[in-house]
Amino acid sequence: MSLAEQDDALIRAALEGSARAWDQLVRRHETQVYNFSLRLTGNPTDALDLMQEVFLGVYRNLHRFRGDAQFSTWLFRIAHNKAIDMGRRRPQCMSLDSVLDEAGDQVETRWQQLDDAPEQDPQAMLDERQRNALIQAQMGALPLEQRLVVELKVFQSLTFEEIAELQDISANTAKTRFYTALRRLKALMEQDHGM
Amino acid sequence: MACERTATLVADYFDTALGAQQRQALQEHTQQCADCALALEQARHTHAQLLRWQPQSVPAWSRVPLPAVQEPPRRLRWTWWQWAPLAVSCMLALAVVLNVQVSTGVQGLSIRFGAAPSVDMAQLEARLAAFDAQQQAALQTLTQTLMQQQSNDNARLMEAMIDGVIEQLGDSTARSLEQVIAYFESQREQDLQLLQASYQQLADSDYATIRSVEQLAMLVQGGQP
Repeated sequence: MSLAEQDDALIRAALEGSARAWDQLVRRHETQVYNFSLRLTGNPTDALDLMQEVFLGVYRNLHRFRGDAQFSTWLFRIAHNKAIDMGRRRPQCMSLDSVLDEAGDQVETRWQQLDDAPEQDPQAMLDERQRNALIQAQMGALPLEQRLVVELKVFQSLTFEEIAELQDISANTAKTRFYTALRRLKALMEQDHGM
Repeated sequence: MACERTATLVADYFDTALGAQQRQALQEHTQQCADCALALEQARHTHAQLLRWQPQSVPAWSRVPLPAVQEPPRRLRWTWWQWAPLAVSCMLALAVVLNVQVSTGVQGLSIRFGAAPSVDMAQLEARLAAFDAQQQAALQTLTQTLMQQQSNDNARLMEAMIDGVIEQLGDSTARSLEQVIAYFESQREQDLQLLQASYQQLADSDYATIRSVEQLAMLVQGGQP
């Protein structure tokens, strides 16, 4: 059974009231949604809030899923809309300052985790965390619409046609936003000298 | 950026939906356009840096939706009592279609389907005429019997009375008695005519009543009067 078929089976069971099926369905996709949220919001607290809103939206609309597209595509359509809603409601949680502050806190937290787990390679774990924090910070410097295009193109591998449909813009506008965002990210990376 | 195609070209490079022919054209352009080649190289580097993101594990959280929205959409389930009004409606509709007629009479409850049986009016008229003739004949017989009996009674009474008067008064009053007898005879004839008319009126009234009762019975049973 393919992943899409497994998703469909879990959806059917969840619609019939199976809490276990719903739990499995969430577990299959929560890492992808959480990292999506983390890159967009820049901090774990807001990422968790966004993820909860996404799955709540999925739960409320699960009976409307017809299986015309893959569940993951439908899921990220909801995630995209929820991210825009959150950006409008709480613009401060997606600002660059918020991202930078949170990135610094995460590095401190990671040092504490390294002390608690000495068997792991401390340098590798620190590099990983710092790299993520920098990417979060650089993404956070972009306007939300550019951040979303980068997220959907680079991390979710959507086509520009799909991105254009999601954002209700033309494909050329989506391409321009993507190129503009990459140029801005390149400039930020050169400033950081670390990447 | 001197080349106006750079933005689209760079974006197209990362578009998985780009066809082979378009990708070939893109590569040919970058070989000839230094601006686009540089921009593409920088974009590829930036793209690669972004992909160094290490997926983070999800912190502990409640995957169960809030109780207020926890109830999944339920399928409609009908219990037997929800079907009862529909079943009654169907039965009534069926009764109308089949023209079910329920009636009670001296023989108890009766249920009839379809239209009432047709009545042969000619046969009914013939039977009524026969019944009428039978009734008239019986009534005439009765009237004649009564009149005969009354006549006999009156004759006996008159003879007895004449015998009694002759006994008491003798032959001298024979003429007077004959006058009296003639008077009584005329009175008797008048009484008989009145009596006959009364009997005829009574018989007509009884016959009309019987006819009315018959018509009413047929009407109640659904037939034509």
